[in-house]
Amino acid sequence: MNLYSYEEIEIGQKEEFRVEIKEALLDRFREITGDENPLHRDEIYARQQGHKGRVAYGMLTASFLSTLAGVYLPGERSLIQSVEIKFAKPVYIGDILTVTGEVTEKNDTYQLIFLKVTIRNQNGEKVLRGKMQIQVLGEEAA
Amino acid sequence: MTREEIFAEVTDIFRDVFDDDTLIIVDETNSEDIEDWDSLEHINLVVMMEKRFNMKFDLKEVGKLANVGEMVDLIQRKMA
Repeated sequence: MNLYSYEEIEIGQKEEFRVEIKEALLDRFREITGDENPLHRDEIYARQQGHKGRVAYGMLTASFLSTLAGVYLPGERSLIQSVEIKFAKPVYIGDILTVTGEVTEKNDTYQLIFLKVTIRNQNGEKVLRGKMQIQVLGEEAA
Repeated sequence: MTREEIFAEVTDIFRDVFDDDTLIIVDETNSEDIEDWDSLEHINLVVMMEKRFNMKFDLKEVGKLANVGEMVDLIQRKMA
């Protein structure tokens, strides 16, 4: 886990990691949230809707932004304040996603960092884009 | 900038932050008058004011602001 302090973080700094979307993740997300929508659990229904298989929950894809902030940028001292996202393309089982965050702005008064976030699939297609506002906690608070 | 000009800019910022183009604020407007004015939106207000007026606030000075009028006065003092 990274442990960046506010001062160590620079505008333009990037962090990224990869994650594979496995069937078990969809099933566990369904268990946790109770979202029974057939697009996410019924292969035949999803194909009838024009998809190549069960569609991963958008919020499951988005949940990796929690990892981006809490583990990578800034890491341990992260306190997410806001997330704005758009789901640009569907994500399917077997997709390998690259989650990227880039610091676009900092605010010294509140020790905030602003990230441009993108998630791309193995073909380089953007499946999610958005912005995050994260407070970087001080040493004593972390 | 005159106080009126600062006030007009501050009104713009409030309308942006609270996503309400019809929002009317006066000097006495405080967090009890605007339902969504919580600690997080207070941070967003301050961040936007710093950008718009190209200034930096001290946490102590923005923490004790009681209403819009005090915000405008603070900005005017820092511009002087």
